[in-house]
Amino acid sequence: MSGINVIKRERNVIINPLKTCQPLGAMFAVMGVHHGFPLVHGSQGCSTFVRYNFARHFREPAEIAVSSLHEDAAVFGGRKNISSGIKNLAVRFKPDLIGAITTCSSEIIGDDVFGFVDTTKKELKTMSEDNKGLDKIEVIPIATPSFVGNHFTGYDVGVKALVDNLAEPGEPTEKVNIIPGIVNPGDIREIKHILELMGIEGTMLTDTSDPFDSPLRPSVTPTRPYFPKGGTTVDEIRDSANSQGTIAMCKYAGSAATSLEKQHNVPAIIETPPIGLQNTDQFLRNLKKLTDCNIPDSILDERGMLVDLIADNASRYLFDKKVAIFGDPDITTGLARFVGEIGMEPTMVCTGANSNSFPEDMEKISKETGTDIDVLFEQDMRSFEVYIKENPVDLMIGTSDGRLLSLDQGIPLIRAGFPVYDRIGYHRHPIVGYNGAMRLMELITNAVLERYYDPTHWKLQQ
Amino acid sequence: MPYKLFDADKEIPEREKHVYKKHCSDPDGEMPHCNTKTVPGSMTERGCAFAGAKGVITGALKDVLHVVHSPVGCTTYSAGTKRYPTSPDLPDGTKFPIENFNLKYVCGTDIQESDVVFGGMKRLKRSIIEASKEFPEANAIYTYATCTTGLIGDDMDAVAKELTEELGKDVVAFNAPGFAGPSQSKGHHIANHTIFDRLVGTKEPPNTTPYDVGLIGEYNIDGDLWVLESYFKEMGIRILSRFSGDSTHDELCWMHRPKLNLVRCQRSATYIADLIKDKYDVPYIKVDFFSTEYCAENLRTIGKYFGLEKEAEKVIADRMAKVGPELEFYKKKLQGKKVYIFSGGPKSWHLAIPLENELGMDVTAVASQFEHEDGYVKMKKRVDEGVLIVDDPNSLEFEEMIEEDKPDLILAGIKEKYLAHKLGVPSIMIHSYENGPYIGFEGFLNLAKDMYANIYNPVWNLVEFEENPAGEEESKIESGSIEKEDNQVEVAK
Repeated sequence: MSGINVIKRERNVIINPLKTCQPLGAMFAVMGVHHGFPLVHGSQGCSTFVRYNFARHFREPAEIAVSSLHEDAAVFGGRKNISSGIKNLAVRFKPDLIGAITTCSSEIIGDDVFGFVDTTKKELKTMSEDNKGLDKIEVIPIATPSFVGNHFTGYDVGVKALVDNLAEPGEPTEKVNIIPGIVNPGDIREIKHILELMGIEGTMLTDTSDPFDSPLRPSVTPTRPYFPKGGTTVDEIRDSANSQGTIAMCKYAGSAATSLEKQHNVPAIIETPPIGLQNTDQFLRNLKKLTDCNIPDSILDERGMLVDLIADNASRYLFDKKVAIFGDPDITTGLARFVGEIGMEPTMVCTGANSNSFPEDMEKISKETGTDIDVLFEQDMRSFEVYIKENPVDLMIGTSDGRLLSLDQGIPLIRAGFPVYDRIGYHRHPIVGYNGAMRLMELITNAVLERYYDPTHWKLQQ
Repeated sequence: MPYKLFDADKEIPEREKHVYKKHCSDPDGEMPHCNTKTVPGSMTERGCAFAGAKGVITGALKDVLHVVHSPVGCTTYSAGTKRYPTSPDLPDGTKFPIENFNLKYVCGTDIQESDVVFGGMKRLKRSIIEASKEFPEANAIYTYATCTTGLIGDDMDAVAKELTEELGKDVVAFNAPGFAGPSQSKGHHIANHTIFDRLVGTKEPPNTTPYDVGLIGEYNIDGDLWVLESYFKEMGIRILSRFSGDSTHDELCWMHRPKLNLVRCQRSATYIADLIKDKYDVPYIKVDFFSTEYCAENLRTIGKYFGLEKEAEKVIADRMAKVGPELEFYKKKLQGKKVYIFSGGPKSWHLAIPLENELGMDVTAVASQFEHEDGYVKMKKRVDEGVLIVDDPNSLEFEEMIEEDKPDLILAGIKEKYLAHKLGVPSIMIHSYENGPYIGFEGFLNLAKDMYANIYNPVWNLVEFEENPAGEEESKIESGSIEKEDNQVEVAK
């Protein structure tokens, strides 16, 4: 009988974390709003580090403002900072939406950001007599203390805050809301592609695909202020209350879906992301359940191409290979199942988050694949490293943070998740949907060929 | 009026004092206001004091374990963000067992809500002990306050003191929480003072020579230090202490023993050179190794100090023979190109004259996120009339400058690089470099090469789709391919 062995971090000290703080997730969510601006209420480092991380992963500008908290605010409170921050952003950038995101510092000094935002909004209204439209700017307070949760829960809180503040009942629509999770532009585009084939209109909550992968076209790019194209409009978020349903393709960041269901009777489906064959199948069934649409042949052909790819190659090259996977809880769950589908063994899965049902999910995958899985739960990259040195695997899948370990141990690393900064193109290609699975299959198989078949190339002649 | 108010800043008129347009008739004292707080919401490029301490100064040490006392974010963000490689060599001739230890590992206390309520000192203590068990090879442990621990008031010095005795190795607390001071510069300041107070003078080097120097403010970005080290070695000069690129904990402890200190990054590290001079009588000189002329000039000064003039000349002649001819090519290509230097550190004044004099470029704007008055005095001296000197630039100003001035190249950080690209202007990462090192003779050639590769990247001629390209035949020949031969057609730009 196969099963799982949950290994928790026993140290207090965290060494090379596999997670980061809540504000990053909230900023990510707000970046997916059309002309949306994150304003971090904290020290300058709180925006600088996140901008740096986004810029090096996406190789795109990441415009994130900060309220610049200093000693005086620590003593007297940060009301002035957040209020003038919002006003300056409003008059200088005229965005459609500002997400006022708290941090450890603003939470500890006890700033009532919700109250401050309310007051500032009123002030924007009176200012708006000479500054047209300032009162139209949505300002959404988002509470993300960094000593609670992680970047993933911060994303959850961010999307929920947007929906809770904006969603408005009106005429029912044929749309489906999708909460993508912290995924890449390529993933969101693949989901849009699937919706298009299914004939469904979707609303991404939120859509980071264009903002984080924008064309370089100076002649049509309006300067001052530079806003990337795309993103979900405020109106679309408002309308999310009237959709046929919501699919959160992130099991651990789906509370906006639950909230829409509770408050506006929009049915919620919260599921592991559609990574791999069966998870994508499930995604299609979920879409069908919500909309009663047909699953067209075109998409079943894409599925067939994936099946063909697996049939042609999996048993020959991949069977029995051991894989260690690390990263965010949702992505690792999806990857573990897919790895099993193509005949490999997900012998170890490691996540930094403490998402409750993660071990249960792994239990299911263990049964399905017949593999004993060591689950490194609430762990860090140091634990991953120590484990790998004692229990070698054939392949690792995870972020660029595993690159040195991969080099040291001579184990190929397939890059997936956030952040990937030592390779290019990874943010553009999907890992979700049938197309994403094909891409993953190719990456995995080619890595195996490169590492385990060369230079005995005669085996590859036919 | 020497100050300029950007259109984009009319809503925050206080910015006017931070943007200075050089004019010859201005009184000496006029320069941008600096080292003051950023206007909230104005999209600054600044970092925090914690970044200044750990990210710039101490993170470069090769044998020190770092424990960040923070909720997980600050720890995660301080992992592997700066490109300062290390060699495994230790001063006693042994090797540190983990390669690039400083780039590989960072520890943190992963503070939870309950610690915020009840205090985090116990967790800090346990974490440091655990970290030291995990990496017994580390020669010292440095621990850092962050916003959270600064606000909840954990007494990190007490923990450090207690554990120094218990663990039998130095445990040093750096109290530079993120909110301290207007920019990362405060973190440099605090780190300098902490290292001086806690470490300098506590150990003696295994031996000394009459040719020992301390190299201060050199962080080995992309291998900068190794370039300079080769010059010194050939001149017969030994670097006894490095602060802090590719350095060790012990080297900091005997920073009082060199015969002369050389200060490279004068913004982040003059503090400690001053302190050492006052207490231990070690003189220091400010040095500048960007570009061939500055590099030669400074090597000569150092050579003269030690009576090693001939040796200095030999190094200069040798390196110039190697890089001179290639530099000539780039000089022709870079002539007249308009460039901005948006650097965090003092590169804005180190690079302005070399780019103009040695490569014939036209520096039309310089900026710094965290410079102080003394730095702007130098910057002002070293740029031409009409050049904009911007303190703590914000992104709307950046966009306005690009729109109005249309520079050919921007030297900036990764946060500005991609924004510049979107507006059609090439940009090079000048903080951590692209294909560095950029220092010294060879480094200046690398910089020239990178500037050339960016300005002449064929893509900049192909940015817009043209339905009816005029003179298709000629444009095929001309369209931007990078040329190596002098007699080829000049790229239309």
